[in-house]
Amino acid sequence: MHPPEGPAWLVALESSGFAAAMRHWLWLYPFVEITHILGFVLLVGAAVMFDLRLLGVSPRIPVSDLARHLLPWSRIGLGFVAPSGLAMFSAHATEWIANPAFWVKLSLIALAGINAWTFHRWTFQSVATWERNTPAPAAARASAVASLALWTGVVTCGRLLAYL
Amino acid sequence: MFRSTILRAAPAAVGLAIGLAGATAAIAHHGWSGYDASKPLTVTGTIKVAGYEHPHGYVRLETKEKTWVVTLAPPSRMENRGLPAATLKDGAQATVMGYPSRTDPDEMRAEWIAIDGKTTQLR
Repeated sequence: MHPPEGPAWLVALESSGFAAAMRHWLWLYPFVEITHILGFVLLVGAAVMFDLRLLGVSPRIPVSDLARHLLPWSRIGLGFVAPSGLAMFSAHATEWIANPAFWVKLSLIALAGINAWTFHRWTFQSVATWERNTPAPAAARASAVASLALWTGVVTCGRLLAYL
Repeated sequence: MFRSTILRAAPAAVGLAIGLAGATAAIAHHGWSGYDASKPLTVTGTIKVAGYEHPHGYVRLETKEKTWVVTLAPPSRMENRGLPAATLKDGAQATVMGYPSRTDPDEMRAEWIAIDGKTTQLR
């Protein structure tokens, strides 16, 4: 709506042919939005199911089996979410960079990533002792609570980008 | 113990979502909630600049009193309703009914736009 203003690389990104196509092609933007939604359904859906298991839902399912089943789907979801998110960002780069929801969203994604990494690097190592019918350690449950809150926040901020 | 942890997690997630939404609702911009439906306006003027762009098209409408930035609908919806890009041309006369932005005194969101005697609903 206004000529792009801001850091040169953002102006260049927003003025690129691809960003223009995102804004002007009739169905590209909706297609990219749908890709983004399908991606986070996989990513966040799988994470939530795993978090609930850590919190004691379906305690008969071995935790590491569930991790092997769900977490690859989370990564596939990430493969949809990241490029589609970048594509939408390119269309409004200078506008979004000034939007508080965008910065909160990126921060929450970073925290969710650190949370997942910490869990797999440390907490998950002892999984053999809490595979099934055993409460997960407090650190695992705390990580699950954090994951649920963080991903809820990420989706919330993503939607609020359009309303701020 | 399982249940109590879940009972703590659910409010944490929902609380964060509501908190974020609440904290930002006051400066809402793009959804219809960002416009004051209690102050409907109908203005007529000349289209100066038009953007047939995602997520919302717009025109800069020069009226006698002021120049409005009028936020329209997504291009795909306008195309479907018979308002292709070519109709939003510079210099065209347009009448717009809509609501003023709660935050930007120069912006309004159009409920409908009439160009050359053809009215297109945009919501």
